Amino acid sequence: MLKRRDFLKTAAAGTAAVSCPAVLRAADGPIKLRELYAKGGGFSELATEMEGKRLTVEGFMAPPLKADMKFFVLTKMPMAVCPFCETEAEWPANILAVYTKRVVDVIPFNVKIETRGVLELGGFTDPDTGFVSLVRLSDATYA
Amino acid sequence: MKSTLVASVAAIAAATTAFAQDLPQAGNDWFTAGQERLQAELAKQPNTSKAKNVIILISDGNGVGTNYASRVWAGQQEGGFGDEYVQPHEAFPNLALVKTYNVNAQTPDSAGTGTAMMSGIKTKAGIIGVNENIVRGDCSTIEGNTVASMNEIMTEMGKETGIVSTARITHATPASAYAKSVDRNFEDSVPEGCTQQTDIATQLIDAMEAGIIDVAMGGGLRHFLPEGTEVAGVSGRRADGVNLVERAQGLGAQFATDQASFEAVDAAAGTPILGLFEGSHMMYEADRADEPSLAEMTGAAIAALQAKSGDNGFFLQVEAGRVDHANHAGNLARVVADQKAFADAVAMADEMTDDADTLIVVTADHEHAIAFNGYCGRGSDILGLCMGIDGAGVAHTGEPLLAKDGHAYTVAGYLNGAGSILREDMNWAGVRPAVDQEDATDLDYNQQALIPMSSETHSGEDVAVYAKGPWAHLFDGTIEQNVIFHVMHHAATAE
Repeated sequence: MLKRRDFLKTAAAGTAAVSCPAVLRAADGPIKLRELYAKGGGFSELATEMEGKRLTVEGFMAPPLKADMKFFVLTKMPMAVCPFCETEAEWPANILAVYTKRVVDVIPFNVKIETRGVLELGGFTDPDTGFVSLVRLSDATYA
Repeated sequence: MKSTLVASVAAIAAATTAFAQDLPQAGNDWFTAGQERLQAELAKQPNTSKAKNVIILISDGNGVGTNYASRVWAGQQEGGFGDEYVQPHEAFPNLALVKTYNVNAQTPDSAGTGTAMMSGIKTKAGIIGVNENIVRGDCSTIEGNTVASMNEIMTEMGKETGIVSTARITHATPASAYAKSVDRNFEDSVPEGCTQQTDIATQLIDAMEAGIIDVAMGGGLRHFLPEGTEVAGVSGRRADGVNLVERAQGLGAQFATDQASFEAVDAAAGTPILGLFEGSHMMYEADRADEPSLAEMTGAAIAALQAKSGDNGFFLQVEAGRVDHANHAGNLARVVADQKAFADAVAMADEMTDDADTLIVVTADHEHAIAFNGYCGRGSDILGLCMGIDGAGVAHTGEPLLAKDGHAYTVAGYLNGAGSILREDMNWAGVRPAVDQEDATDLDYNQQALIPMSSETHSGEDVAVYAKGPWAHLFDGTIEQNVIFHVMHHAATAE
């Protein structure tokens, strides 16, 4: 299996003219969810360059909001909720809404997955759940 | 008496040196360092002056195990093996172990522990500034059961006081400095029919108005704004429609929400300071942008309290609130980064004050279910894989050790949490996933855990308390957590 660092070496050797090497990676291997966000808020350069394109993101499936949906939330780490610390479950800052091709077959929250779909940016309110997302994958598959 | 003591110490030191010179290991660096430490211990003199200032710095969830991981990580960041590194508080002259349990909880929570440190009594889990007669959540039980906090007591003594936290400023530990609440979750409202107390955010501004809290900086802006009001991108959550930020500003408070407004605060102005840098908790240090570090907030708080208090002195509580949250997430990379930020705050407090008149206390409220594997060679990345011991050298072999399942394993792990290897879709059986060094050292990695839980838990294991300054030597042995209050109070009142 080609590890990310190996791919980086390959990419660095042959693509000096590319302004954002992360875009090259995103077109091939999975990226981490955090790479879609800029530090302190907003979208990363990678996210803006990949808008409308298909890419693969790794993360964890948060427990679904409803059964039999074609939608789930990808989190960078398993959703951890501290009953002593919080009065309610709070979404972490960096999440990815994933709209799937098929009804979601739930994967446990602590199992790492990869999901591939078309990157969409901008505010969107899900008509079924009211869930507001700023960044999404559409037409997505996962495993 | 004192001269006799000094003479005796000198005699012992001379005898020890003579003994050391006779041994074949006398030239060994470890032996020499041990001798130097011995001499330093022999030369220690207790400081029995009255403490003008008292600073307590609490890293939430930094028990002895978490502190170990933080030490090794900080040392490895500087290119060392890590073990040999000394965090600022680890250089303090006095130390005790602390029993952290709550009256009704073997495994404590931060509300009960905060009350123990701030008020001198152990109480139940989940309640703040009240004694164990309380029924959690029942406001009717509060009358006659509130206790005074160190901030209130120091204010009565003519001192200025402050609180700084990277958690919401209404969260358990900072709230224990100013609030009386039958439930830690009453951050911006109380249940219908609860007329005996107000919410925690309101109590903070009440304390500011009463002159009990002079500086308050942390997160939690949403609890100070009414629903429908947005400030600095944060929407308010107060259902009562009260704008507590405007109320604080009406008291003359300087208000900050980001790095620029923080830097614009005039520490010498003598006005209250309210800094609320996030809607909820402040960012983890590893993710921090456009908001001050814990050390910066600590420095600003000390400068403001020093300017305002003059010769009367001050009391400051500093909390690294997110060490706990990263442990709850089972994400050691963010634990140790926030812990380094805490250590920087300790160093800042030490630099800005004089050991002669300032008692500095560094501790934690409780530990977590973190544990460490073996047998790892020197320099194994504390976030990464346990590497083999090199019998021919000092540094590890570079080859990860393998468990019976044939997979490598990390140095650190958690007993429970979201990193559990057990899976619901396998009837809670599990197979330990393979892990390599790249994955294990990633910022978002969850160290493997056993028992599946959505949030890793606290543990009842001891924490340490480190101290320097007047009466710091009273921290000794294994103590109950509420004793911390009594030493701080004695130091500030000793004649």
